[in-house]
Amino acid sequence: MNIALIGNPNAGKTTLFNQLTGSNQSVGNWPGVTVEKKSGKLKSDKIEANIIDLPGIYSLSTISLEEEIASSYVMDRKMDLIINIVDASNLERNLFLTYQLLDSNIPMVVALNGMDIIQRNEEHIDYQSLSKALDLPVIPISASKKIGIDDLIKAIEVFDFSKERKLIQYNEMVESYIKVFDNYIKDRFLSIRFFEDGLVALDHAKVSEKDQPILIELYNKSKEELELDIDMVLPDARYQQIINLIHQIYKKNDLIKETTTDKIDKILTHKYMGLPIFIGIMFSVFFLAFGPLGTWITDQFVWLIDEFFALIIRLVDNLGMSPYVSSLITRGIFGGLAAVVGFLPQLMILFFALAILEDSGYMSRAAFIMDRALRKFGLSGKSFIPMLIGFGCSVPAITATRTLDKDEDRKITSMIIPFVSCGAKAPIYGVFAGALFARGSYIVVFSMYLLGLLVAILSAILFKKLFFKSASANYIMELPQYRKPTIRNTWLHTWDRSKDFLIKAGTILLAAFIIIWFLSYFGLVDGKLQLLTDDQIGQSFLGYIGKALLPLFTPIGFNDWPQTVAILSGFVAKESVVGTLGILYGSTGDVVENGSALYPAIRANFTAIQAYSFMAFSLLAIPCIAAVSALKRELKSTKWFIFTLVYEMLVAYLVALLIFQIGSLPSGTIFTILFTSTIVIFVLLMVRKFIRQKGSACGSCDGCSSSSACGLPQFKEFKENIDKEKSKDEN
Amino acid sequence: MTLQDIVPGQTCIIKAIRTNNLRKRIIDMGLIIGTQVYVKKTAPLGDPVEIIVRGYSLTLRKAEARTILVERLDTE
Repeated sequence: MNIALIGNPNAGKTTLFNQLTGSNQSVGNWPGVTVEKKSGKLKSDKIEANIIDLPGIYSLSTISLEEEIASSYVMDRKMDLIINIVDASNLERNLFLTYQLLDSNIPMVVALNGMDIIQRNEEHIDYQSLSKALDLPVIPISASKKIGIDDLIKAIEVFDFSKERKLIQYNEMVESYIKVFDNYIKDRFLSIRFFEDGLVALDHAKVSEKDQPILIELYNKSKEELELDIDMVLPDARYQQIINLIHQIYKKNDLIKETTTDKIDKILTHKYMGLPIFIGIMFSVFFLAFGPLGTWITDQFVWLIDEFFALIIRLVDNLGMSPYVSSLITRGIFGGLAAVVGFLPQLMILFFALAILEDSGYMSRAAFIMDRALRKFGLSGKSFIPMLIGFGCSVPAITATRTLDKDEDRKITSMIIPFVSCGAKAPIYGVFAGALFARGSYIVVFSMYLLGLLVAILSAILFKKLFFKSASANYIMELPQYRKPTIRNTWLHTWDRSKDFLIKAGTILLAAFIIIWFLSYFGLVDGKLQLLTDDQIGQSFLGYIGKALLPLFTPIGFNDWPQTVAILSGFVAKESVVGTLGILYGSTGDVVENGSALYPAIRANFTAIQAYSFMAFSLLAIPCIAAVSALKRELKSTKWFIFTLVYEMLVAYLVALLIFQIGSLPSGTIFTILFTSTIVIFVLLMVRKFIRQKGSACGSCDGCSSSSACGLPQFKEFKENIDKEKSKDEN
Repeated sequence: MTLQDIVPGQTCIIKAIRTNNLRKRIIDMGLIIGTQVYVKKTAPLGDPVEIIVRGYSLTLRKAEARTILVERLDTE
């Protein structure tokens, strides 16, 4: 048996899914956490059932891609039973979807979630009357507090599939139209969908080709006849029924004038304080992870790991195995792993902070605050959420672009996400900043994140100007109530992402380290393949590859083949860049100085400006294999995919080139260049502003810069209509 | 007047929706002719606006608010 979990975004579906199946999916407090469907087995010893967690939808008429998944699932009746999760504290809008689902004859159970909050507010919902009115079982639950889950499972176990549910009846006028359409569609549910959505609904119906034009004609005729806009007739009828029903079952507490969410929002989205607080929060996240505290924890952790690995290495040496084996273990495996795993604490702090922001509901506020700023770059505030996840890992971030409403938004956002510095790139900055920039290390790290964002934003503008001229990203978003992040959930989130990192370290990265070890410790000496000693590494296979490619990288400041090889290994996974440097500079087992084993080797081989160019190149170049495949999946076009890869490579090279070439100039020259370019930019800006002012005579709109749709003819017509209406109102 | 003209703290009733590309979403979120809307605040940068409709909080851009015709309700 297949059971689908359907409900509004952020209604608590994933939490309930975890309770019903006993699995550990992470949950966030922003609409659109579930972007792909997940399935699991129902915890029941009486029946065998598969639970499918579908993306949240507000309605069966959908505009975004992930909503399409859920709604097609219903329209094609792919499940035996629906569990409709309804957020009790947002009954009116949640029941809208419930009513749409009730138009079908699919068996259904309603899980009324958040009943604990209703009780806490001293309110009352008469769920038994609700059950009677809808003619289906209604189970009050609290998914987060694990209340009522057993009742829900029992209700599923004893569900009576033989009973036909009585369908929702609308007023006579609406029913007569449904009947007219149903003569041709022969399916009440799809006729209702046709009435509401028009032609799109026919994709799921079996209508003969000769009936289609008749239906379209009928639809157009109805459009003329109806007093209300045709797409509003059914929603209106439905909402009227819902309001009547809520009147009977819901006893509201009128004493509550201001909720906790209101109070928090008064500060966090305050007119003047909102933006500084936002910037402050973002800065503290990075300060926490990469500032003194994060560095100190990392140092302690690295010291522990080094002690542990040194112990194992001594053991291996004592066993007297063949030199190949002991070299593989000490240099290949532990050399790489030690360098990577050492950065786990910093990553965990970063993941933890992001998890708290997600779970509390602040992410949606961030989108609300940032929308205006992002709009200038052709993005919407909603793009901000995937980009923020991108600071953790590009793979879920690219997948999360599915929550965006338009294809152009999705493409632009996924193309720029790789520039947002992911968690795996953090160790690279960590080791360079720690070794070479000691005191200002977290400022250097922060500057990398800013550079990534800057390139991302400039690229977005470029893409919009060049390819998606007509695109203007949409924004319409619900602000969820704030929730206190639970320890369990925050930990789940943090652990989920850290686990990915560790698993990668143990699998792909390990394999990469072994390959790199082989290539770097074996070579042809006098035409014979043999294990090399440390001072012979230059003759290894890797040495040859690195040396061959080095001239290509000299202009951006690389002066040593291990640097080239480390960059190459980054295409497997960014985490391995540091590990590879560790192997190639043979630093394992060295004295631990300042907490990190690699620092002396870095100091010996890099100048500050070389290191900065190296970091910038690693940041901007093609992401790891996992992210590349996610890109391929989401862009859905080989052309765009290849373009993105080439573009990223070129940008990385160009930026690193600029950094190194300018950085290598004497400081006097640098200041001259900085000063001149500032003046030039200032003058250009002023000239532009002057031209703008002269040209902004196109009526009452606030200049074409803020409203990109201004020039479109349809929009003008629109504006005229509205202006007419406006003057009517004023008279 | 349009929803954009409503000052935060005021309530209005929807008269017509002329939005083109987000129309369906706006209707499904519960904004229909006759629906009461309370304008709560604008974002720190002046746009989008936050409105309370059907008991929950929705944010939309002024560009969309401009396409929703409303009538002000003078409560209190």
